[in-house]
Parts: sequence; structure tokens; C-alpha cells
Amino acid sequence: MNDTAKTGSNGSLIGKRIPKKDAPEKASGKTRYIHDIDLPGQLHAKILRSSQVHAKIKSIDTSAAKALPGVHAVITAADLPWQRPIGVAKDHLPLKHDKVRSPRDEIAAVAADTEAIAEAALKLIKVDYEPLPAVVTAEEAMSPDAPRLHGDDLIAPGPDGKPHVVHQASHDNVAMVFQYGQGEVATGKAASDAIVEDVFKLHYVTHCCMGVSGVIAEFDASENLILYSNTQVPFLHKREFAELLGMDPGRIRIVQPPIGGGFGSKLDIYPFEPIAIYLAKITRRPVKLVFTREEEFIASPTRQPVLMKMRSGCTRDGVLTFREVETIHDNGAYTSWGATTPFVMMQTISSLYRVPHCDYRTRAIYSNNPYAGSFRGYGNLQATFAVEAHMDRLAEAIGMDPLEFRLKNAQDPGEVTPQGMHFKSCGFKDCLSVAAERSEYQEKRRANEARRNDGNPVKRGVGMASMLHVGGGAKIYPSDGCGTILKMDDFGRVTLLTGASEIGQGSETVLAQLVCEELGLPLTSVNVVNNDTDVTPWDVGVHASRTTFIAGNSAIGAARKAKDKILTAAAAKFDQPAEALDTRDQCIVEKSSGKKLVELAKFIRSLHFSDKAELVMTSYYYEPPSKHQDKQFRGDVSAAYAWATQVAEVEVDTRTGIVKLVKITGAHDVGRVLNRLGIEGQIEGGIVMGQGYALTEDLIVENGVIRNPNFRDYKLVTAPEIPEMDVVFVETMDGEGPQGAKGVGEAPAICVAAAVANAIYNATGVRITALPFTPENVYRALHSNSQPPTWVAAA
Amino acid sequence: MNEHLRSTAVEREPAPPTPWGAADEIATYLAPRSLDAALEALRAGPVTILAGGTDLMPQSKTGRARFHPTLMNIRRIPELQGIGEASGMVRFGALATMTDLLENALVRSRFNALWQACDCFASDQLRNVATIGGNICNASPAGDTLVPLLVFDAHVVLASKADGTLATRTVPLRDFLVGPGRTSRRPDELLTAVEVPLPNERFVSAFYKAGARPALDISAISIGVGANPAAGALNDARIAFGAVAPTAIRAPRTEATLEGRLVAETIEPALKAADDEISPISDVRASAWYRRELIRNVLRGMLENVGQC
Repeated sequence: MNDTAKTGSNGSLIGKRIPKKDAPEKASGKTRYIHDIDLPGQLHAKILRSSQVHAKIKSIDTSAAKALPGVHAVITAADLPWQRPIGVAKDHLPLKHDKVRSPRDEIAAVAADTEAIAEAALKLIKVDYEPLPAVVTAEEAMSPDAPRLHGDDLIAPGPDGKPHVVHQASHDNVAMVFQYGQGEVATGKAASDAIVEDVFKLHYVTHCCMGVSGVIAEFDASENLILYSNTQVPFLHKREFAELLGMDPGRIRIVQPPIGGGFGSKLDIYPFEPIAIYLAKITRRPVKLVFTREEEFIASPTRQPVLMKMRSGCTRDGVLTFREVETIHDNGAYTSWGATTPFVMMQTISSLYRVPHCDYRTRAIYSNNPYAGSFRGYGNLQATFAVEAHMDRLAEAIGMDPLEFRLKNAQDPGEVTPQGMHFKSCGFKDCLSVAAERSEYQEKRRANEARRNDGNPVKRGVGMASMLHVGGGAKIYPSDGCGTILKMDDFGRVTLLTGASEIGQGSETVLAQLVCEELGLPLTSVNVVNNDTDVTPWDVGVHASRTTFIAGNSAIGAARKAKDKILTAAAAKFDQPAEALDTRDQCIVEKSSGKKLVELAKFIRSLHFSDKAELVMTSYYYEPPSKHQDKQFRGDVSAAYAWATQVAEVEVDTRTGIVKLVKITGAHDVGRVLNRLGIEGQIEGGIVMGQGYALTEDLIVENGVIRNPNFRDYKLVTAPEIPEMDVVFVETMDGEGPQGAKGVGEAPAICVAAAVANAIYNATGVRITALPFTPENVYRALHSNSQPPTWVAAA
Repeated sequence: MNEHLRSTAVEREPAPPTPWGAADEIATYLAPRSLDAALEALRAGPVTILAGGTDLMPQSKTGRARFHPTLMNIRRIPELQGIGEASGMVRFGALATMTDLLENALVRSRFNALWQACDCFASDQLRNVATIGGNICNASPAGDTLVPLLVFDAHVVLASKADGTLATRTVPLRDFLVGPGRTSRRPDELLTAVEVPLPNERFVSAFYKAGARPALDISAISIGVGANPAAGALNDARIAFGAVAPTAIRAPRTEATLEGRLVAETIEPALKAADDEISPISDVRASAWYRRELIRNVLRGMLENVGQC
């Protein structure tokens, strides 16, 4: 392996460009994804999904499918009277028994010798439906006489085996509500010189992981369950699967092969996972279930679509006075993490800028549409889109430069917001200034505005948007911690066992780097083990941009303990105080002179093969200093917060509506750069994801049916249209962060769409409040052939 | 978990012959090395023809295309290869790939609209395998090469051995395309080549494709324009459109409006004629309204450009 980053004698690894540890495997095609794993005796499973959007299931006939040679099991809900629900609200049975509520709904499943046989068996299953009226918009769902998606209590056996109500009927199709307030909005309104109001409409997109969803379930001879899973939260899922299956969690082991993308999509349990487990149980064989690409589009979660009404005000001096927000989240047929995105949206609405008075109400409404999950940014793209449109609109209303207006209302270090967030490190104002200066934002904005009506059909625009996101973990679960076990072998090499999963974000490289930095080792000396719940210590999972911060601090803690142990022993041997010694370049050295006393490996061997044999092994658990919010959503949920400003430059062709993203200038407060190559990859990838959300991606849902479940018509950004990027890091050296770093996984995707919207306005004078900015949508807006989104009358 | 689960496991029985999947199961795979052998196979019964496979494979996966019992890979047939010119007629073998066309000097210098269409055709990987014959036989209303080929008055050459002897016929492309995914090819015929008269050296042409992104996209609309420009007027004006009718089409009335006259004076009536000649639909890629707007706005720009040649 080409180890391009080594510790030199003066060399710190921090801030260096370090290739990801898994890159050679991936680049050479050697990585074994779940798709590449086949267990001896394994069967293949397929799922029969609904052909209806909303219907009662009258009968299911599986006899012909069961008779097909090569079929080992065919199951329906009737075979599993003990099924328990999954999901955030426990409103979702893996196999549906009474009715189907969307075309993704699972009705039956087959395990067979081959995928082809399983597929053929599905075609032999006959389902008799009684169609029900479909509820395909939140507006319809909210009308008093709308059909109820979950009009009956869901009853399932509890741990005692007796029936319990596990999800209460919703008689108004409301799935979840959030309400938050600070100050008195009436006071804010009274103090306002300018008030703007808009309705924003945010669309469906989906993660498009290059590796489709898959799972292999196997029971060993002692009835222990082994799951080969793509999950981002193995330890939480171990417990959840245990509840779901009525098993002891100690009998469940989750193994995580490398995954082809997560982006939040694998934070929840989806029906295919328990279905594979049921089939493995019944057939006593390993069962593998892997989605087709079409299935991935139809049956994996989306980003949460939102209809949002926002009203904001400011004084003529440019001080924000209030913000009033109401949203309708189309919840889809079942409740997953999408319904909880208001929790994150709230932080941007209340605290990205200083807003003294704020009122925020959200409702997630059941419908027969696809349901949303967690997706990089977690509601923040939607909230930022609206907030940053209003920052521009208010600035224009009072005739102030939009950069000045933002600087005037931006948060400062040390601020504790009315919501209780404490911004210990905060480079927001630097982000604003640096991004504006490097992109020549103010000059270009004025020049573009002056050129709006010059007869050239191609207009140029520049737009700015900023974001605030958790960067030091997020106290959502009872713990937000991560455990690490570190062992050093007789050759001075480290095996780092961490609970933190690698999902492509580069965590194992950063963790190895932090450990090497502490112990004075080259990167090649560290092996990271992070993919087996029977082996690694507990971690809450990959979410909330938390891994570098939380798992990084935990890894540093374990490395420091190991170093203490080594230096204490060395102190005795070399008759010097431990504080006078250090580990450097794989040696124990005198700290002051740098004089080498002994090779590290040799010294560790001398500890091991002695009268008082000693192994260098340590464990460490890190729980960040953050708090749960109270019932009014007040509290400091993260130990640190990340900030960013992005400036987008676009060309808008008024003849076709095509918006070309020319350049993104980004200034990101990342605390401190650890792996420069890794962070550049994260930021650039996130910008492209944000670009897709803004310009090309659109999961078209018509009457509950996804019209474009393929990469031909669901348009991801491709290489030619990726813009020029100028990304600068604002290093605020967070006091709690590992080597000063903060989490950045989600940050880069969050403000692209908002910046592009402001740039289109700068170019054309037309404010578009609905995404995506596909050519036809933009063309319609420019040529007055579309209506801006309207608020739901029934609301 | 519940013990009664066990009862749902299927009892093992001796395997009878498999009944599944018979409808579109491929029984025979052929890869003939001569045109004659291929035509014999076509004569013998229904055959699914495979060339680049870039349309066939996704269509068979979604169920839009169903396999006949015989799948015939025609890629090894030498008679279908090559690009050449003889006495003013350029012949593109049916197996010429988009990459072959892009790298061909004659295409580059004399068939600009075709070259541009190949340049924005899908992606490198697809251009390396997708063939001109396949693009024509797929007969998509949005087929990228169809629009420029219509501009260049292309004909297709069809070979068969219906009565045991080799017969060929040549059909103008505009007659060959009869509907979305439909051509006038008989099941026993093989498209062997595309023939295009070499335009004179002053002939100019251009192609434009509108979509949500510049690569890997199916056109919302496409336009091909060709003419001999002279002092602001167009002679031998040729206009073709994609994705605005059941097939890619020539627009004869638009052409007649422009023919021999100053572009600057005929642009508005030409745009009106074009609007009358197209019959776009609304689908997942664009609305009919937007397609009409695109045709008007983009054609205007292309005509202005060609008028300045």
C-alpha cells in the first residue's frame, strides 16, 4: 500500500491529505458488499408488493406459488399472527394483513433456491383486493370526510404474548405534531417595519445509494440470529429486532459488510429485514434478500416533502423581529424518521439567525404516498430553503445589502439561543465574510441585477445561503456515546475496535489518524475493526454528523490510556518521570531532547514476556456534554455546532428554463480539518447532492404511484454539470472536538438549493418557492405559466 | 418466535418439469458469423435481435420487450460493419457504434448534425456499444440519431431470404418509422445498413437536444436543421424534430416556408408552421405545452444561426 502520509519526525498527521483506508479495496473491485456474500445453503427471497394504492386485502392464494419446485416457503401475514410493528410510531406491520396503504406494501414473500424461482413464484400468488378511495395529497387527507389511513387501533402481541394496542387509531390522519415557541410573536410583529410571507413547497427525492438495500438472515444451531445488514445503527437495531421478534437481544449479532451508501437511509428497520428473518426461521436456511433498482426506488424511504408557510419580519435597521412558521409534512402511509424532521428544522428556524420571537407548528399527515425517512440534512435543507429566501426578501424590502443584513443577525460565539443551544465555537460571521469576499458576491449581485433586462436570453445570478447543523453529536437517544477498545500487539501495531460504523464517510481513516497522532505511529500500524456487534463496543450509530466528533474523542481517549500505560512502565525502566517521556516515530523518546530510548515494539514485548506479564489493552467510552431537550424543545442537544455559507453562481437560459450551476464558493466552519482529502470529498459530494436536490432530482409521485423508479428518468447529477468549487475551511478549534474538529457530514448538502434559489432571483427577478428547479418548472415560473404553491385550505 | 411457523414450510416433493417463465424464456441463442446465416434464422421463426443491447436489456427487464424463443446476437456479422463512401453515397453498417460515428472524419466534416447527436448520446459507455441500426430499429420518438438522419434523407437497407433467395429493399427512413417503437421492418428482415447521400460541401447542419442534464438524458425535444445558406436565405432547407410526435419527423411545411427565402423574413411563419406540424404529448419528461415552447424558442435560435452562415 502506498502510504502517502507518514509521521515525520516533526510531522503531525492532522490536516494532511490522507487517502481513505478502504480506497484500494474499492478502487480495485475487491470490496465484498452484501451482494457479493453467499452463505452455504442460502436461499433467495423476493417480496410481493401491492398492485393497489389503497385497498382491503380480501384473500391471498399462495397455493400455486408453494407448489412451484424450488420454492421453500411462501409467507403472508396470516402465517405470522405474532407479527409486531416496526417504525418510529410502530404503525407498520412488515407483512400487511388487513389492507394495503401504498404500492410499496408487502403482501407475501417467497424463499426459493434461486432469485428467478422466487420471482416466478411471486407471479403465481393471487391477491383479491377491494379498492378503497386513495388519499394522495395532504390536503385531501386533512378533509373531515377523508378515508382514514390508520382508522383502527393496531393490535399485536406484547412481550407477554397477549394482545396490546401498539398503535392508536388516528381519526384525523394526523401522524405527528410539533409545536415550539419563543418570545411573543405579536410583539415582534408590532416592532416590524417589513414583513414577508411565502408558501414553500419541497419535493420528494430519494437517497439513490449505489448499493441497493439487502440483508442476509441466518439462525445458527442454537437459534441465535446473525444478520448481515447495511444498517447505520447496529446496536440500536439489535435491541429493536429483539423486541420485534420476541428474542433476547443477546442472541442477535449484526455483521456489517461494507455498504454502497447510506446517507441516513439505513437508520430505520424496513419490512424487508424482518421478512428475511421470518423466512430464515421457517426454512432453517440462510436467506438473502437484495432489492432490484426499481424496488430500491419504490420501497426505500424518501426525503421528507414539506409544504411550509413562513412569515418573517425585521425593522428598517435590519434587525429580525419574528418568524412564524407552519408546515404540513406528507407523512405517507407509515411513520418513519421523516415525520420527526421538524425537530431539526426548528433549530434553523429559531437559531440560525437571532430571532427574538418565533412560533412554529408542524403536522405530519398520513396519506397513500411513499413515506419519508432520514436523509443527510434531516429537514434542514427544507428549513434553510425557506429561511434564506426570507433573508434575501427582507433585505430587499428594507433596501439593505443581503450580506450586511445577514451579518447583522448572525450568531456569535458564546451565544445561548432562546432554544437553549450554546454556540461555544461559532465561525458563522467568518463564513459569511469569507464566502462573500472570495466569490465577489456583492459586486456580482449588483452587476447581475443591472443586467437583468439587457436582452441577453441567458441571465447570470449569484445567491447566498448559510446553515447551522449539529456538529458534536445529537442527544436524541438515551445515550449519544461511543465505546472504543484498543489493543497493541507485540510488534507495536494497533487494533482499534470501535462501535462507529464506516459507511463511506471515511470514519475509519480519521479514527486511525487520531490514534496514530496520539501514539506516534504511522497510519499503516492501525487496523480498524468496526463491523460486528459481537466484537465491537457500543455506539449509537451513524447519524447527525457525529462519528468524527464522538467516535474520534472515544478513540483518542483509548489511545491516551494506552500511552499512559506504556509511559508509566517506561518511567520505571528508564528511571525518569512518565511526564518526561513520549512516544514518537514508533519509539519511546525523551520528550525534551527527542532522544530515542527504545523501540516501542521491543518495549511492549518486554512488558508482555516478563514475570509480570502485561498486555497493552485499553477501553474508553465517550459521552458528549449535551442534554436532552425538554418537552418545550429547549436544551443543548449537541456539544458543538457546525456553520457554513455557500455562494452559488448560475446561468439561467430564459428560452429553455435550463439553470446551469456554474460555481459554488463554500466557507465551512469545521472546527479543524483532520483529513484534508477526506473532508474535501465530503464537502464536494455534499454539494453535488445539494445540487441534485435543487436542479435535477425529482421523485415523481402521481396518485400514490412513483412514475420514475429508474435512473433514466430520476436524474442524478452527472459529471459534466458538477460546478467549479472553491471550498475554504474556517477553523474555529472547538474546545470539545477531537483535535478541535466538528462534524461536517451533512453540512455541505444543506444550503445549496437555498443559494441557487437566491441566485435565480438575482438573475431573473423571479422568486421561485417550489423545488426542484428543473427546466420546465423554471421556464413556467419565468413565463408566468405556473402558480406559486398555496397553503392548504383545510389546514 | 412461534413454533407453528414450521408448518408453513413447504413439504419437499420430487421436481416436475419447471412450468415457470416459459412465456419469455430464451430457448436458443445464436451468434451467426454471416449475413446469410442470420437471414436463415430470421426466416425460420420469431427472433429477438441483439446488437448493442442498450435498449433491449432495460426494456426486457421492465417487461416492455419480451424475448422470442430465439435470441440472435448479430455482432459477429462482417456484412453489417463499417462506414464507407462510394459515388456520393455514404453507407453506415448497421453495427456502426456511436463512437465509430464520432471518430469518423467524414461524419465530422460533412454530417455535423449527426456528429452532434452522437456527441450528446447517453454516455461514453453506452456510445461504445449502442449501434446506429439499433437506434433506428428501437424507433423511439426521441431517438437521438433519427433526427439528423432524417435531415440527411437517410434510407435504410433491409435484407431477407423470404423465399430462400437473398432479397434487399431500400426504404426512406421517414417511411420506415411508423410509430413509437414500431417500424416497417418485417420479422424476417434484418436492417443491414443506413445509406445517406453525401451532402454538398456548403451544406450546413446542426442538432440540439433539450433535457434536464447534458449527458445521459432522453430528449424532452430535439431539433435537426440543415440547409445550403446563401446570403441570409436558405436553400434545400431541412427541418426534423424528435419527441414531439409518435415518431421522429421531418417538417415539410416548415421547410416550405423557409425554402429559398431570407431567414429574417420567414422566421415567424416558419415557427408557426412548426407549431402546426408537431403533436407533442405530456409525459414524465415534459408537458406538451413546454415541448411546444422549446420547439419555438430553440428553433428560432437555430434558424438565426444558420441564417448567418
